[in-house]
Amino acid sequence: MKKDEHFSEEQLNAFVDGELDPEEKSRLYNESAHSPELDQRLCQLRKLKELVGHAYDDVPPADRPGGPPLRRSGPFGGALVAGVLLAIGVTAGYFGHGLISTEMTNTPAATAQIQEQADNYLLHVVSGDPEQMQSALAHAKYLLDSTDPGEIRRVEIVANERGLDLLRSDVTPFAEEIRTLQENNVVFYACARSIQRLEESGVKVILVPDIRQDYTALDRVVMRMQDGWKYEKI
Amino acid sequence: MPKSIILGISQRRAFRKLVENSRERLYRMAYAWTHNPHLADDLVQQALCKALHNQKQLKDLGAAEAWLFRILSNCLKDYYRAKRDLVSTDDVVIADEVTPEHDTEKRQLVEKVRRAVRTLPLAQRQVVTLVDLEGFTYATVADILEIPVGTVMSRLCRGRRALKEHLIDVGRTIGPRRQTTLKRVK
Repeated sequence: MKKDEHFSEEQLNAFVDGELDPEEKSRLYNESAHSPELDQRLCQLRKLKELVGHAYDDVPPADRPGGPPLRRSGPFGGALVAGVLLAIGVTAGYFGHGLISTEMTNTPAATAQIQEQADNYLLHVVSGDPEQMQSALAHAKYLLDSTDPGEIRRVEIVANERGLDLLRSDVTPFAEEIRTLQENNVVFYACARSIQRLEESGVKVILVPDIRQDYTALDRVVMRMQDGWKYEKI
Repeated sequence: MPKSIILGISQRRAFRKLVENSRERLYRMAYAWTHNPHLADDLVQQALCKALHNQKQLKDLGAAEAWLFRILSNCLKDYYRAKRDLVSTDDVVIADEVTPEHDTEKRQLVEKVRRAVRTLPLAQRQVVTLVDLEGFTYATVADILEIPVGTVMSRLCRGRRALKEHLIDVGRTIGPRRQTTLKRVK
């Protein structure tokens, strides 16, 4: 009988993963010193473990959609810009909680820093159902209308997947409502990846005016949640 | 300002920082599970979104790391459930895609190992990568995947056994070359 048969495969794995208790570890060390076969099995396992780790040292970045005209981010690579966006989100979270975030500087609200900050909202539209779309727009209006005097509230609407139809000029039945909300500082974002997917399937996507784009809708969701915004999926 | 609010803000900041710092690691793990950059990116975004949305459920910041990976794992399960209703996600094997040949030895080796990992059923792939890429303990992996430690050990065992079979020629070709290098150093 081979000496290394005293140890199960699970035990050998536990050994290379540092999971054996000291007593078992000592026993295995001792036996491996006298058993080249056992020693070789341990070497193979260690090597395998290293190989797997090494194979994912550098993973390919997600190929994010290129920069459409309304993108705020300019010509930089997707991952970098996403990082910057998140950095802004984190910074705003750190220093701007309860205050006005960095993007506010060009809005009328930015000049009114003495005003109280109400909860900000990000509404996420994923449904292509016109009733759901209308519900999202009505909810945005309600959020603005329900802000107390002296308070400011920011509302953004981000759309992806089927919800992108809300923002497509040739599809949406709500262009007028969108324009009215935009006049009241509601900012709309379209998911660039959803646009890319649609265009890859042969659909020409034309958005209603003044729609911004993010790499993915979830990028914006994550960023705004890190800013401490309220999030509602519709 | 009441003390509890200060503590709440401080913990929230710490959590957000942790989330941000974990992003790359989550992506690497999601890539190792799916071998699809787009899907991995989507999964990470979903996981971060869920984590931020449900951060109040997290009682102990020390457990946040495992919690994030658990959310990521659940996002992947949800994805496969949506794609392949009624098929056990534990058995999902990614089709071996044709990848372009690369010139460098390192790239060839990396591709070979990734191909081997891709052939593992998802359940084994997750355990192997959580242990080998992140260095998580068996108990943490059990917590992330919501399975018993014994199951972690048996899946790891089967996964590594399968990898060994796939990579047996790597051992033959790479091993001697490394020894040669060492001899030269001496």
